[in-house]
Amino acid sequence: MSSRARTTARRPLLSNFVCKTVMALTGLIFSAFVLVHMVGNLKVYLGGEHFNDYAHWLREAFEPVLPYEGLLWVLRLALLASLAGHVACAALLWRRARVARGPVRRRHAGWRSFTARTMPVTGLVLLFFVIFHVLDLTTGTAPAASGGFEAATVNTSHAYENLVASFQRPLAGLFYALAMIVLGLHVAHGLWAAANDLGATGRRFRQVAVVVSGVVALVIMLGNISIPIFVLIGVLK
Amino acid sequence: MKLTLKIWRQDSAQAAGRFESYSLDGAGEEFTLLEALDKLNDTLVETGQVPVSFDSDCREGICGSCGVTVDGVPHGPIANTPSCRQHLRSFTDGSTVTLEPFRSGAFPVVRDLAVDRSGLDRIIEGGGYVSIDAGTATDADAHQVSHETAEAALDFAACIGCGACVAACPNGSASLFTGAKLMHLTLLPTTRQERGQRAVGMTEAMDEEFGPCSVIGECVEVCPAGIPLTAIAGLNREKLRSVLRGKAS
Repeated sequence: MSSRARTTARRPLLSNFVCKTVMALTGLIFSAFVLVHMVGNLKVYLGGEHFNDYAHWLREAFEPVLPYEGLLWVLRLALLASLAGHVACAALLWRRARVARGPVRRRHAGWRSFTARTMPVTGLVLLFFVIFHVLDLTTGTAPAASGGFEAATVNTSHAYENLVASFQRPLAGLFYALAMIVLGLHVAHGLWAAANDLGATGRRFRQVAVVVSGVVALVIMLGNISIPIFVLIGVLK
Repeated sequence: MKLTLKIWRQDSAQAAGRFESYSLDGAGEEFTLLEALDKLNDTLVETGQVPVSFDSDCREGICGSCGVTVDGVPHGPIANTPSCRQHLRSFTDGSTVTLEPFRSGAFPVVRDLAVDRSGLDRIIEGGGYVSIDAGTATDADAHQVSHETAEAALDFAACIGCGACVAACPNGSASLFTGAKLMHLTLLPTTRQERGQRAVGMTEAMDEEFGPCSVIGECVEVCPAGIPLTAIAGLNREKLRSVLRGKAS
């Protein structure tokens, strides 16, 4: 029992298990969010009016049960809390992994583990992208946002015009497209890791999890990437 | 065939290590990696030099004693094969082969290519055993275990504890080892009374010295016993179960 007592004395406040579980659950929340977000984005192909109506509906959804922008703020707060947990746990685990590995890094790891090994990098890129994206199309803060940004009013939304104006800047459009590739890589491994972290041992479940991780990541990536591309080649304007 | 062996030499855990190059002449391509080291050591001893320390025992891939990092890959170029079953035919004649110890913060170098892997033993001490008074052998059908379950338990029990999974892991995690050692017990009915406390105890012991798992999968590429990633999901499942259940069983 002496070894157990020593273990207890050294045990950190947040164990690896707690961190991994928090990351898996918040990661699943993010994945569900970006999937729904992507479906909403695709409404851009149904025309500017339809897209703006959808953006406006998001603000006044479930009134009067929820106040104006109630749904948006519930989602924002839930996502912000998830982000804090996800990033904090990631930082803790990354630090512990570095210490455990010791000074000699692993070299010559295969391409099959590329998405897994680059999770901290793709995660940081996504964190930067999320900040840029909110400044660009939510708050309309320059220089992230385009010059023509128009904030939503109580009666109407200019989401379509803002989106097109933003993506017509080649650098911004390219950055959005690249960020979506990074998102695809992060989600592909993230969903598979979440299945493992939450204890998916069944043979068939694991096969399904592999396929679902890849397909969901690919769908999110391609669905979103298409939008800046179609804006840049002039189909959406 | 002729090879240049670039070997990590380190006099003790505290000493600083360095690479030294040795020329190995006249080794056949049917030589195993460890036989090549034997041949080199014969030459070193004859010329009054200190031979290269490395671990080995059975030399047939069942004991888990051997393990060196070959050109950056734990055990060597052939996947899922221990160092003692890696042959020189994997290398081209005249090439340089780099030999290092298993690399991990939890595996301090004892000398040259030999490392201290007792951290794995401390994980087993955390709960990788069954505390039952076995007594005399029970009837063969006293505990009903399906053939499929028995085979799955045996597959996990194939782990030889070599530590290659830890050396392959960019995170220095021992999750594949711990998962295999936990799951081969968990699947069998005679171990149920300690199921919860075993998961907690082994996980705690593991976290004390080893890193967290990011499901990178490098471990399964090198594991000589072919332990699947399912072992890691099993470890997480058992830990989650013990947390939700809050009992020793």
